[in-house]
Amino acid sequence: MTEPLLDIRNLCVDFGPASKPLRVAHNISFTVGAGETVGLVGESGSGKSMTALSVLRLVPEAARLSGEILYGGRDLLALPKRDMPEVRGKEIGMVFQEPMSSLNPVMTIGAQIEEAILLHERMPAAERRKRVIDLLRLVGMPDPEARVNAYPGQFSGGMRQRVMAAIAMACNPRLLIADEPTTALDVTIQAQVLAMMLDIRDRLNSAILLITHDLGVVAEVCERIVVMYAGHVVEDADVHTLFSRPRHPYTQGLLQSVPTLTDTRKRLYQIPGSVPPAGTITQGCPFRARCPKRLDRCAVEMPPMVTQGPSHRAACWATAMEAVA
Amino acid sequence: MAKYVLYRLGDAIPTLFLVLTLVFIAMRILPGDPALAALGPMADPVQLALFRERMGLNEPLPLQYIYFLWDAIRLDFGRSFISDVPVADLIARNLPHTIYLTIVSVLMGLCLGIPFGVFAATRRNRPPDNALRIYSLIGYSIPDFYLAAILLIVFSLQLGWFPINGAGTGFWDGLHHILLPAMTLAMLKSAFMGRLTRTSVLEVLGRDYVRTARAKGAREGRVIYRHGLRNAMLPLSTGIGISILATLSGSVAVELVFNRPGIGRLLIDAISERDYPVIQAGVMMFAFFVILVNLVMDVVYVFVDPRIRMKS
Ligand SMILES: Nc1ncnc2c1ncn2[C@@H]1O[C@H](COP(=O)(O)OP(=O)(O)O)[C@@H](O)[C@H]1O
Ligand SMILES: [Mg+2]
Repeated sequence: MTEPLLDIRNLCVDFGPASKPLRVAHNISFTVGAGETVGLVGESGSGKSMTALSVLRLVPEAARLSGEILYGGRDLLALPKRDMPEVRGKEIGMVFQEPMSSLNPVMTIGAQIEEAILLHERMPAAERRKRVIDLLRLVGMPDPEARVNAYPGQFSGGMRQRVMAAIAMACNPRLLIADEPTTALDVTIQAQVLAMMLDIRDRLNSAILLITHDLGVVAEVCERIVVMYAGHVVEDADVHTLFSRPRHPYTQGLLQSVPTLTDTRKRLYQIPGSVPPAGTITQGCPFRARCPKRLDRCAVEMPPMVTQGPSHRAACWATAMEAVA
Repeated sequence: MAKYVLYRLGDAIPTLFLVLTLVFIAMRILPGDPALAALGPMADPVQLALFRERMGLNEPLPLQYIYFLWDAIRLDFGRSFISDVPVADLIARNLPHTIYLTIVSVLMGLCLGIPFGVFAATRRNRPPDNALRIYSLIGYSIPDFYLAAILLIVFSLQLGWFPINGAGTGFWDGLHHILLPAMTLAMLKSAFMGRLTRTSVLEVLGRDYVRTARAKGAREGRVIYRHGLRNAMLPLSTGIGISILATLSGSVAVELVFNRPGIGRLLIDAISERDYPVIQAGVMMFAFFVILVNLVMDVVYVFVDPRIRMKS
């Protein structure tokens, strides 16, 4: 197998004092291959955003990162701080969860997209402006020539998210990270923005790390899925395997709660309980309190990621026992 | 845009009217008889009566009010009781000095305060930030006349670097004369502007769009000046307006200590001599500037923030 484009190894994100750290991401490890579309799923608060922000080292100032994030073989976490701007935007583009606040309110959207190009590529101004229009067209902005001089305040959330995507794609990055690009939008707009993401995926050959808490979305878009729970990666498999043979009880619960067309159930299934806040589980498996298959061992020791098949890993003691049996 | 300015200008008219009315009332309830103040305690009753008649002080109050407004609209401020010079001349002679002092000290204050604030904001809780904290604490707590006196004693009297009083003649001499008074006001203003800049920049640097700028690959300098300071200019422009007004009022003390001509000086002298027409005109002048600065600030807002432009 060729070297993956992005290889995250044992990433930990800590807040709080070094003597009493609050760990919100525990030994996160997964990869994204060149041109591959990977979904990162999990309920809100499971550490998806912190993981994504770590890749570009855009976590809040108070956060401390450890582990390795290999991009094209280079460890981004070991890079001198002043070298990060060359990676951001050029190699890796990012779309954020908050379309309403992620654009500068006092700059036109054209100027903001143009800046993304300007920072990494030299070209005549006229050509750059043409590229801005092309990008706006790519993300499905109607009448781009007229709207390029508008301010973010003149756009809806869905349109702003398209502008964000244009910024992220401005330099044709090899990896696009989209952190819940549709969560803050209305349902109908969600579908449109998602269609735009699919379109971008098909037209350009960037790899995409798509973060979402919606399994329905990843099923449509992604080739592989990484499931996170309470700051841990608990399962990692290709889409087909994950949907047909989920191995972690959390993934199984998530899948049961996805509505299907042939659904005859009166009420949707919901995993009982809620995600424990970061730092409250210091020992054992963080999912055990909500787990239908829990064993005594789960309270003592965090299960390691165990290979379940080709490109399929899961971290669960019960599953590990079944595999042995 | 032009419509917005006109609209704002229209807004200023009632304020101006209110100020005139307040000045009128204040002048009428101030203790002391203007005629007595003007002619002195030795004046004979006939002269006093004549004076009252000439100044219209015997008319009924509503009529006096209308005369007063009419004079104000025509910018006819009468003559000084003391020197008999037209008040308009006195104002014209003194106003440029106050405007010059205000401009120089506000510019100095901004040039000191804004970079200091940005520097501190980007080095939060480190020595530059603490230095700003101490500097602004001193700036906030020192009264202007006291700082003026200290600077005068140290730099003019003891070191002899600057002239002791007056406004000088010609550009360079004028500049030499104005540096120390302007510095006095600039130090106070820069303490305020530095603090305000630090707070606004810190607030803006935590915004999501600043993270977007970083995600595009913008370097820190660009992030701070292009995205940070530009957005921080919104609260800062209010601060600049406040600074200008505070400098105007501070100029009263500074003009007095440095013995410079100016509206503040004129007003203080007029008050001590009960020179009513001059007091009246001086107060109106200050009020007029407050309104003007606010008006200009409102227009500046619109330039800085497209959101306001879109709404109007
Ligand atoms: N600045 C911060 N300080 C302390 N904890 C934080 C901070 N930001 C986020 N967290 C915590 O990190 C955890 C993961 O957050 P996040 O990555 O945003 O989750 P997700 O994106 O999966 O919803 C949450 O428990 C959250 O409370
Ligand atoms: Mg998130």
